[in-house]
Amino acid sequence: MGLTSAAEAGPPRASHSPEAAGDSLQKNGFVVTSVDAVMNWARTGSLWPMTFGLACCAVEMMQAGASRYDLDRFGIIFRPSPRQSDCMIVAGTLTNKMAPALRKVYDQMPEPRWVVSMGSCANGGGYYHYSYAVVRGCDRIVPVDVYVPGCPPTAEALIYGLMQLQNKIRRTSTISR
Amino acid sequence: MTDRYETLATRLDERFGEQVTLVPSTCGEITIEVARSDLIAVATGLRNDADFGFEMLMDVCGIDYLSYGKAEWATSSATGTGFSRGVEREPVILDEAEEFDPRRFAVVYHLLSLQHNMRLRMRVYTGTDNPPIVRSVVDIWNSANWFEREAFDLYGILFEGHPDLRRILTDYGFIGHPFRKDFPLTGNVEVSYDSDKGRVAYQPVSIEPRTLVPKVIREDNRYSQDLKDSGNG
Amino acid sequence: MAEIQSYTMNFGPQHPAAHGVLRLVLELDGEVIQKADPHVGLLHRATEKLCESKPFSQNIGYMDRLDYVSMMCNEHGYVLAIEKLLGISPPIRAQYIRVMFDEITRVLNHLMWLGAHGLDIGAMTIFLYCFREREDLMDCYEAVSGTRMHATYYRPGGVYRDLPETMPKYQESRFRSNKEVQRLNASREGSLLDFIEAFTEKFPRCVDEYETLLTDNRIWKQRTVNIGVVSADRAMQLGFSGPMLRGSGVAWDLRKKQPYEVYDQLDFDIPIGTNGDCYDRYLVRVEEMRQSNQIIKQCIDWLRENPGPVMLDDHKIVAPKRIEMKDDMESLIHHFKLFTEGYCVPEGEAYSAVEHPKGEFGVYIVSDGANKPYRVKIRAPGFAHISAMSEMVEGHMLADVVAVIGTQDIVFGEVDR
Repeated sequence: MGLTSAAEAGPPRASHSPEAAGDSLQKNGFVVTSVDAVMNWARTGSLWPMTFGLACCAVEMMQAGASRYDLDRFGIIFRPSPRQSDCMIVAGTLTNKMAPALRKVYDQMPEPRWVVSMGSCANGGGYYHYSYAVVRGCDRIVPVDVYVPGCPPTAEALIYGLMQLQNKIRRTSTISR
Repeated sequence: MTDRYETLATRLDERFGEQVTLVPSTCGEITIEVARSDLIAVATGLRNDADFGFEMLMDVCGIDYLSYGKAEWATSSATGTGFSRGVEREPVILDEAEEFDPRRFAVVYHLLSLQHNMRLRMRVYTGTDNPPIVRSVVDIWNSANWFEREAFDLYGILFEGHPDLRRILTDYGFIGHPFRKDFPLTGNVEVSYDSDKGRVAYQPVSIEPRTLVPKVIREDNRYSQDLKDSGNG
Repeated sequence: MAEIQSYTMNFGPQHPAAHGVLRLVLELDGEVIQKADPHVGLLHRATEKLCESKPFSQNIGYMDRLDYVSMMCNEHGYVLAIEKLLGISPPIRAQYIRVMFDEITRVLNHLMWLGAHGLDIGAMTIFLYCFREREDLMDCYEAVSGTRMHATYYRPGGVYRDLPETMPKYQESRFRSNKEVQRLNASREGSLLDFIEAFTEKFPRCVDEYETLLTDNRIWKQRTVNIGVVSADRAMQLGFSGPMLRGSGVAWDLRKKQPYEVYDQLDFDIPIGTNGDCYDRYLVRVEEMRQSNQIIKQCIDWLRENPGPVMLDDHKIVAPKRIEMKDDMESLIHHFKLFTEGYCVPEGEAYSAVEHPKGEFGVYIVSDGANKPYRVKIRAPGFAHISAMSEMVEGHMLADVVAVIGTQDIVFGEVDR
């Protein structure tokens, strides 16, 4: 009975309200949705960033993960290893000497992976743009999904950037094209 | 200058005589200039003599005096290129065979004496040698190790007798000595990811150097030593 | 019996305990370290060369970004050097404000150090405790300068502005009930000084909490006692300063020995260690936080009673107020000159050192009479400390490397510059 009524509900929607799903689960004991929606829900709800703290922004990144802001609430838990993470926060000035290491770490991350560029230095060199030792934007080394401006961005700004990344992930469809 | 520093100046003069030259200072610090050949003798004396007792070497740094006292902005016409218009930069890169101006490179040592609570600055000019070279003081003060590596990396000053003179701050395989005044601020190369090669690769630098504020030198009577000494400043 | 050869291991540059971007090449015999070769420069941004291309006052921002956990102390060293060359000294109120913020910065730095050091060698809770207090102190930074970290608050001739009379407050929202907002705003009703005072009242109890967690903790002691021992002679020979030197039993603190600003009028003690191991340095730093708290309290009392200017009135160096520019031609000209060209600093050289949370932070400026420094050399305390890394870890186990990195309080912004 429930199957038919759920099937009649139309094509799977990428966005769905958790309350409705909860009701359906309570009444019928199951939920019908698209695979994409489930995958995106899982991905957005457990974004595990790798700590790539390079400079000043790393301090704000730590503040975001610590007591007041507590990124754990968003399911964002910092991982020390690229193999376990799906998101890299490039927090700080990327120098020529560090660039090969950044790329290597990025290559070690499993797909799907996202990159958040945090702060002016990572976005485009910032205050150190004219220096001989600095990469003028980490997008020269790795593809970047979200740029967070600021020097350094506040912890709130980083959280906003991560929420923007979650929105971006929600919009992607892996199965249906 | 306080009494203690005057005493130190007198003692330095008595002990080392010809070997050191006192440099007048505007802000109550003692600076001595030492000839390259006397460096080790003076340094050992400064560390071991009870009168001095400079047991700590706080800092060693190189200086390039190439453009000292030269303003870089000379223009009277207005153009659309901003301040950069008046700035001319010509690279001064010497061949290995050529000689440097004897007062171009210097190594500056900052000493600290804990027992007498005094500081001293010691400067050694590297002379005309290309590459510039001075004796290492690692055996006298062990802390010189990395500071000398840094001066070598940034200025190309060689330290004779240094145990491990490698580059320290710049990239692996870096070419040139970046803090020399004839090295461009933006450098000569930049990196980016080369997807064909599958690695991060070097390429020639793509940005133009830009001057936001030109360097100017203005005479200011308020800081003139003559006026200050006569009490009118 | 087959001979076991020592092997080489690479540590970093991306390692959670490397405090940034340290790369260590370790030569190991089994699990015992024979030799460590730190590779630094992975955060070398050419700060000193960039400083040569900008007017004096525009470089203050670079100082913040050097040691990015003790921002204002870096500014202090640089600003003092310029003031020395210019032959000026800031108004007394500005000096008290500087001292107060130096000590706030010291607490900020030591909290970061304690949290990170604890996390590195296995104490998770301390990290959360420390960051709880750091947030309050960052609010002080934000209230006074507008940014949480890179304040650019100290200027040659004083500080950018006087302490604000109000604190920013939490507001009621979907996620925060009225009751919760009232609780959070309880200490924010008054001025910044009230807020800092409330902090100094509660902070000793917070330090007690950290000490309860760590000081007598068996695991903490096993990880730190007799690790990375440095004798007093070696510490001097290696150019150590700050808690690294005091942990080895040398009573040397620039705030006492070569007092700058108003430190000679304040009452505080200098803790020193006896053994020169990681545990002693931990005790020294924790006690320094308590002493800093005392200094902050004294500054608050003085600042409450003595209003006054916080900036010199010399418009050749200090920009005139905006309101003066509206109807005063001279001020307008001064403002224009200061912001297009800056001020020229008389020819000469100066080295000024401050007691930075990590040690002696010195700035050596050579000026050729121009509006830009001819050479700026930053004497970073961490640079001397990390150069002794090999000596400190030799003969220890691999896991102790992390403890030694932690105890040195390395921040790569200042080491690599």
